[in-house]
Amino acid sequence: MLLGLSIKLIIREIRSGYLTSMLVSLTLAITIVSGISLFTDRLEQALSTQTEEFLGGNLKFESNKNKLQPLLKDLEIKDSQFMEMALFASVIFSNEEMQLSSVKAVDNSYPLIGLLELENSEGVYLTKSNPKPGTVWMDERLQNLLKVKYGDEVYIGDKSFIFTDTINYEPDRASGNFSFAPKTIMNMSDLESTQIIQPGSRVEYNYLFAGPENEILYIRNFLEEIKESGDEIEMLDEDSSSLGRAVDRSENFFLLGGLIAVLLSACTISIASQRFTRRHISYVAILKTLGMKTLHIRALYFLIFFYTIILTLIFGLFFGWLLQNNFINIMSSYFPTELPAPGLYPLVVTCLTAFICQFGFIYPHILKLLSISPMRVLKDDIGLNQGSISVISAGLLAFFVLLYLYTNQITLSLIIFLGVISFSFVGIGSIYLLLGRKNLGLGASNAFNLALSELRRRKLGNSFQIFAFTVAIGLSLITFSASKNLLGSWQNSIPEDASNNFAINITKEDKDQMGLFLKENNIKSTTFFPVANASIARIEDDEEIQIDRNFNITWIYNLPEQNQILEGEWFSGENRNGISISNEIAERYDLRVGDLVYLKVEDKEIKTFVQSTRTVNWDNFSPNFFVIGHPSLFEDIPSTFITSFYIPKEKQEIAAELMREFRTVSVFSIEELIKQVKEIIDQVTKALNSILLLTCLSAIFLALSALQDGFSVRRHQSAILRTLGASNSLIKNSSLIEFALLGLISGILGALMSYSGVYFIETKVFQATANFYPELFILGPSIGLIVVSGLCFYLINGIVKKSPKELFT
Amino acid sequence: MILKVNNLRKEVSSGDSSLVILDDVSFSLEEGQSLAITGPSGSGKSTLLGLLAGLDSASSGTIFLDNIPIHDQDEEERALIRKEKVGFVFQSFELLPSLTALENVMLPSELKSEADPKSNAEFFLERVGLKDRQHHYPNQLSGGEQQRVAIARAFACSSKILFADEPTGNLDSKNGKLISDLLFEVNSETDNALVVVTHDHDLAKKCDKTISLQLGKIVE
Repeated sequence: MLLGLSIKLIIREIRSGYLTSMLVSLTLAITIVSGISLFTDRLEQALSTQTEEFLGGNLKFESNKNKLQPLLKDLEIKDSQFMEMALFASVIFSNEEMQLSSVKAVDNSYPLIGLLELENSEGVYLTKSNPKPGTVWMDERLQNLLKVKYGDEVYIGDKSFIFTDTINYEPDRASGNFSFAPKTIMNMSDLESTQIIQPGSRVEYNYLFAGPENEILYIRNFLEEIKESGDEIEMLDEDSSSLGRAVDRSENFFLLGGLIAVLLSACTISIASQRFTRRHISYVAILKTLGMKTLHIRALYFLIFFYTIILTLIFGLFFGWLLQNNFINIMSSYFPTELPAPGLYPLVVTCLTAFICQFGFIYPHILKLLSISPMRVLKDDIGLNQGSISVISAGLLAFFVLLYLYTNQITLSLIIFLGVISFSFVGIGSIYLLLGRKNLGLGASNAFNLALSELRRRKLGNSFQIFAFTVAIGLSLITFSASKNLLGSWQNSIPEDASNNFAINITKEDKDQMGLFLKENNIKSTTFFPVANASIARIEDDEEIQIDRNFNITWIYNLPEQNQILEGEWFSGENRNGISISNEIAERYDLRVGDLVYLKVEDKEIKTFVQSTRTVNWDNFSPNFFVIGHPSLFEDIPSTFITSFYIPKEKQEIAAELMREFRTVSVFSIEELIKQVKEIIDQVTKALNSILLLTCLSAIFLALSALQDGFSVRRHQSAILRTLGASNSLIKNSSLIEFALLGLISGILGALMSYSGVYFIETKVFQATANFYPELFILGPSIGLIVVSGLCFYLINGIVKKSPKELFT
Repeated sequence: MILKVNNLRKEVSSGDSSLVILDDVSFSLEEGQSLAITGPSGSGKSTLLGLLAGLDSASSGTIFLDNIPIHDQDEEERALIRKEKVGFVFQSFELLPSLTALENVMLPSELKSEADPKSNAEFFLERVGLKDRQHHYPNQLSGGEQQRVAIARAFACSSKILFADEPTGNLDSKNGKLISDLLFEVNSETDNALVVVTHDHDLAKKCDKTISLQLGKIVE
């Protein structure tokens, strides 16, 4: 019986349209949550695979010595694969030209992860193999510089090779310090016969491992033990590339957008539930009078809302799938291959969100409804105390659980939770006081007086309504502002004329001539930074503690652009004998301002101290350094120079000319990387706009629900006033004035809320500097005024179009 | 003549078919006269009252209220007529719950932008015996008291004709008698015409004229 009755009731409720706002809000929330979580889940999986490919394996050991092979005997590797490669820079000769190249000699296990895309006279193909002994593969740039065709002979050191294939794509792009120079791949077995590697030669040996997580951790521990100064270990989760950071930040934004949309929907659902329970008071009283047990009535309503959840889950997941498909289509050029299938996590998060909404925002109202006395059938003035403590507590608990579900951080959740609660408390209280005391009478003589009187008369209801509008406007503005600023900061970090070429290995002799060459060709370059390789040791109690890696250091007078001093001071006057280090290095090696250090550069040892720590913008496509000193400290230190410059598309031949002119200088283009990052920003913008649009839709639904809630009372009042002779224009104008004022107040409060929210997100979530956004204080009140008045106009028109007689029925 | 009705018809569409609620209703009422409209439930009494008071528009026929053809007027014009000439008492009182008794009675004067709505409202509340309860809200008053507030509100607007839709319908016999006596008593002090829809024979007998409706037509 219960099943049949519950199905009948839900069908009737849906047909009557009373459940519409609840159904739409829940569906919207589920759509956004499932869309975002499905997308981010697949994106993370894809990124993990890409990072794996980028790294060339799950674990990489870098060393300047060829020492790992004999040590590996002690390592019992069962399920993991292993490969070795040597990387060095060498001049390659063809019959016509010669060119410095980044050479990678690989063993027969290459590539450990992913495939290479090669091209030869037969066309483009994918392969999982290494070059045969006696052959080399080169990238297109080198092929053009050397002017060679497939089958031509090239020379590396003492050995000649046949050029067989062009490298279009290689998986392990993160390999080596020379990875941006024109590339060559050769077989490891040919390395000895080239006679290139001599004692003192600068070679980097990379050892790559791929396998199950526990074995990789075991290998890592082993490597940590044998690691010496200058060796480096890299793992999968340490992707610090520009793309990795761009995608990380957009993922954070997606989750923020999702959380905001869910909170907006939760407010709408709560308002809709209140309306539902008010309408069902008589039903419950009648069912009780007819002898139905409370337990059965509870089961009946539980079933009704269970159907609601299932129905919205089906539609929400369907639309969510379409949404994530849309995101993937937008970003398809970044993921040339099919994205991995989603895991179970998105489904779990979506279902959890739906059920938290049901148990936090709907079910407590139903429990309250069940407490109605059967006497209600006799006395219709028996109502419900809607805002009871249990209902509010359940809502707050659900709010907190949702926060935790989306942020996964208890402290962050607590901060947001307490922030929102205090804001609500202070906000509603101030609005209540601001509206002032009511005057005698309704002030129905003119529209303005009537509007003011209505505002004051329904002070408590209006305070909550303003609060709902404030939340809707504030949260939408936070989403808008976060997306705009996030994108703005990215776009600003890549100006139109961002350096698209780097030149390294510039000798002191070439430096001035090269500067002249660039000037003659109207190419603007950044500073020529001197570069030297240095190791650092921290001095503690007269003891030297060696830091386990080498750094490229530079020495300059002025703080580079987009660097910011965090602690200490930049060099000035006499205060210039220390070094400035990046905050990453300071944190990683526990170095603080004032710490004494030894710098070992070439064969010289410089005793100095940490004078300042600074933030570095690694995404600005200019030379950046972990360690910087003052030139006076590095006099007589031999160095090469590095610079970056922008070559417009139409002047690309200048790069080749430059390389021919200055043979020892390596010029590499980062045009492709810039293009890729710009594309990502463009694609993320489109995806963010979809999220923004859906968030705004949720906000409009919240505003509409809050308005509709008050309009049932207004309908009755309008019927009486019009019977007494009030004109339509009086009703319409007074409502418009009233809601315009409500919207304006909400807009101002919404702007304040969004400003506080954006400040919190910028400083605490994105760890950036807070900015002042004056546009929020223009947008907030304008949106409040236009949207709330617009919605009111739509609703009040529905009322004034009807005759008073129709309104009474 | 305060009210003249000719061949009034009201039809509403119900799905594919249409339903005739009133058909060929004609009568007239002189100034200061009272008229009872009686008939069984569903005979069209309240619909007729709504049309006479200009709360709704007829499908065909004419209604002249104080010689004004309200059948030709739009909702805005009818609202003006209601404000100037019509008072209304409902079966379910229809007081605004957020206003006190005094404020509810002040409403018509406020709508007319009269100089002192408060004194006028206080006068009529005193007249219906509720001066002491003027600051109470409707939910703090009994049904009989709420209807007395409604009567005070109807007379406070200095109307020419008062329409009452089953004013005793929601009250017990004792309170019903009190209300009907009060309605006629206060009406006699003004020169208002009175149109009452009622099932109550005693109330109908107090009126100068009675028309009875059956299936939307006048039967006697």
